[in-house]
Amino acid sequence: MAGSSGIGDEGGENPVNINVTPLVDIIFCLCVFFMVSFKFKQLEGKFDSWLPKGKGAVGSVQVDSLLDEVRVAMYWDEANNRTIRQLGNRRIESDEELAQLIKEGHDAWVRMNKPDTPVTIDAEARVPWNEVIVVMNLCKKNRIDKIEFALGAPPPAGL
Amino acid sequence: MSKRKQQQIKEDLIVNLVPMVDIMFLLLLFFMLGADMSQREAAELVLPTASEIKENEKVKSDEPTTTVNIQHVDPPGGKCPINATAGYCREVDHWAVVIRGREIPRETLREQIKNEADASLEPDVDPLAGVRLSARKLIIRADRAAPYGDVNKIIEYAGTAGIYKIEVGAAVPPKG
Repeated sequence: MAGSSGIGDEGGENPVNINVTPLVDIIFCLCVFFMVSFKFKQLEGKFDSWLPKGKGAVGSVQVDSLLDEVRVAMYWDEANNRTIRQLGNRRIESDEELAQLIKEGHDAWVRMNKPDTPVTIDAEARVPWNEVIVVMNLCKKNRIDKIEFALGAPPPAGL
Repeated sequence: MSKRKQQQIKEDLIVNLVPMVDIMFLLLLFFMLGADMSQREAAELVLPTASEIKENEKVKSDEPTTTVNIQHVDPPGGKCPINATAGYCREVDHWAVVIRGREIPRETLREQIKNEADASLEPDVDPLAGVRLSARKLIIRADRAAPYGDVNKIIEYAGTAGIYKIEVGAAVPPKG
């Protein structure tokens, strides 16, 4: 910072002349430091996914309740670098179709007086996390709060 | 022009720095207050986006919380070409679990989560579980490309350690 301007020298009447140049220099440095290190925070949020207290992580699978669920299977297609989603035997490409089928599946259980039937996300270990979040998001959009996670079986042959 | 007159003109050209100092002070205040200098539990990673998430509330200071980050780490001596091009890297060694800025080896992850759980047990035995559960909340922040298997492992370890309050982090999608 060049110059020797100061406060108090206007008119030459004030005998106290404060040289503000070093102050400006320091503030400039501080400003540059904070500007460079400044980062706008990404807005974050959370999905509650509390575990059932009585079951722990393993859960107690009963044979008769095994089918009481809407199961979304997810496989990682290494060759094409994409995730394959399946509901029953049907492969689903679009999010809209998946949301619709999850809703229909869940509504069917509600009509059978089983509104607590969960949507089980049964994904293979290599499936990217954001694909799982997409399915969770679709469930939440359909106001389905009971979501269960399962670690999927090995993918079908050919994947 | 005489020498005296030249000196007179020079004296008249005085730059008033006071408004500039005022503005710079304001800028400095803005950046200082906006800067996050605290040691953050949340690592820098690209979270998956979800429109239905509830936005973060202020965490109660007395509520025990542990944030588990799953993030990509480049191999020594180079960058992962898949991750660098925003692809889905599936190399197991390229994914690390980080708690409070420290990378936790996979072999000790179960033990670490158990220690976290035991550090804040609930005072009473839970009637459903028949044991004292942990009052700790576990926040899982996984990179968008992280393998689901790693997230699932953490949920499994948390469940067996008695942690039942689990939240998964996501980002608010950009508007428009």
